[in-house]
Amino acid sequence: MAQDILKTLRQVNRAVAILVGLLLLTCALFVLADIVLRQVGASFGGTDEISGYVMAISAAWGMAYTMLELGHVRIDLLRSRLAARGRVLFDLGSMMVLTFTITIIAFRCWPVLEKTLANGSRANTTLETPLWLVQVPWFAGWIWFALMAWATVLAALVLFVQGRFEDTERAIGAFAEQDALV
Amino acid sequence: MITYVSVGLLALLSLSIPVGIVLFLLGFGVDIFFSPFPLMRGLGQLVWSSSNSATLIAIPFFVLLGEILVRSGVAGRTYAALDKWVSWLPGGLVHANIATATMFSATSGSSVATAATVATVAMPQAEKLGYDQKLFSGAIAAGGTLGIMIPPSINLIVYGFLTQTSIPRLFLAGLVPGIALALLFVLATVIICTVKPALGGPRRVFPWSQMVGALRDLLPIIVLFTIIIGTIYKGWATPTEAAAVGVAGAFAIAAFFGGVSRTMLSESLLGTIKITSMIMLVVIGASFLNFTLSSAGLGRELQDFLTGMGLSPLMTILVVVAIYIVLGFFIETLSLMVVTIPIIVPLVVAQGYDPIWFGILMIVLIEMALITPPVGLNLYVVQGARKTGTLSDVMLGAIPFVIVMLLMVVALIAFPQIALFLPSVL
Repeated sequence: MAQDILKTLRQVNRAVAILVGLLLLTCALFVLADIVLRQVGASFGGTDEISGYVMAISAAWGMAYTMLELGHVRIDLLRSRLAARGRVLFDLGSMMVLTFTITIIAFRCWPVLEKTLANGSRANTTLETPLWLVQVPWFAGWIWFALMAWATVLAALVLFVQGRFEDTERAIGAFAEQDALV
Repeated sequence: MITYVSVGLLALLSLSIPVGIVLFLLGFGVDIFFSPFPLMRGLGQLVWSSSNSATLIAIPFFVLLGEILVRSGVAGRTYAALDKWVSWLPGGLVHANIATATMFSATSGSSVATAATVATVAMPQAEKLGYDQKLFSGAIAAGGTLGIMIPPSINLIVYGFLTQTSIPRLFLAGLVPGIALALLFVLATVIICTVKPALGGPRRVFPWSQMVGALRDLLPIIVLFTIIIGTIYKGWATPTEAAAVGVAGAFAIAAFFGGVSRTMLSESLLGTIKITSMIMLVVIGASFLNFTLSSAGLGRELQDFLTGMGLSPLMTILVVVAIYIVLGFFIETLSLMVVTIPIIVPLVVAQGYDPIWFGILMIVLIEMALITPPVGLNLYVVQGARKTGTLSDVMLGAIPFVIVMLLMVVALIAFPQIALFLPSVL
């Protein structure tokens, strides 16, 4: 059961990640087109601004995928010296801390959007982008990350209680070091 | 406050809590214990403003560029071509490792990606040709670190973003030290293999016709580097926009070699998202910690601390270097950089040092952290690409290159112009 949930979470977030990737790719094309246009004296204007929005939204929505792929860097100097049970305790502890922190962040992101909605704020630029248009997907991304974190930590807890340490570690263990690419 | 942050940082990191989350927690702590007014209200705004950045979008672009190149077989061709040009030196193929890593550094913004790329194509050759694997694999691990020094560099983008320094100038400043390091790596290998030929392997000489023919395979990388760097310094594009140009270029090259497919595209995109989000969590966390520290009056405290210590500027730098070497044993590249920038950079700049110069010095120290055990990502990456032997082979093989990097640190401190000359004339 818990395993199925984790598997579904992975699949869903993989799809989300591909969409985010396509969004970035579209943004790259847009920037490219603007560079070419500038050489002939025209410009869309505002590619910088739009790139910024794309970055904020992509970062928020990609977080859960990275979490499920164990991609958020952790230092496992102590952890790696422990037996399976100890390692899993470290993993659970760290996952709970992550979940609480992200929940706090997601809650604190709301006032930003709330203020934008209340004032009908627009960006202080030539595009005058209505900020809610970009802050709604941004905020939703952080909420999504928080929800995914809760679902993952609960599923991992179930696995842990069932004594399936190996499965737990596979779900929330430390990253495989050669996979972390920076 | 400095003590609190430093101790808290090490304690939380050792609990293996994700680095980005640790930075947020420290920020929460600064707010609770040290700030006279509530800083948590700024959290949401900070998460928004630090990620809403046209500068940072260069990160996913450069990552994607690297992913495309790796998956399209360009790496293998480049390696074979460079083998023909440099393997006549004592040490043979070891030089091809360094040269390929250097070339890939010029299109890749990441050290681990560079090392992984070179290791994948080079390790099978070492076995086939009967090389001693220690120096051979150490050279890949060390050569790979150049990825963050030679522009474009993701780490320099992050440094520029967090310290408000010019990214094009940082890129220029990294060029000479990067190339100098590559040449010094080659020199070290020549010396080692002349004294003890058994540590290398057969030297390889190719006929001229083959050497000239191989040049064609070097073209893609050279063209790509020229496009990326050229558009920046011609003033046609910002570093971010140049990254987008680079992505298009990498696609064109991959398509030319028939490497574009649906799988390749989706794998590249997934890899990009995974790495980008990892970096962004750390960067957003660092921005928040930065904000809480400066709001709670870190600047004043640092000044008091420095006057209290009575350190001269040179002593300060030496202490900072020592701190990085020690931390570098345990903490990984980007994390090390990002967690220390809020504390160390203001301290160094307050002593009258140029932040551009310090960025480059920091990169050398971080490169060293990549190949010093027990936590040295490049060592693991290279070991991961080997089928035999232990991690300690790679560690031993990397030692000569660590010494070279130490020399570079000394050189940069003695002659800051190594880094600052190019940005000052261009």
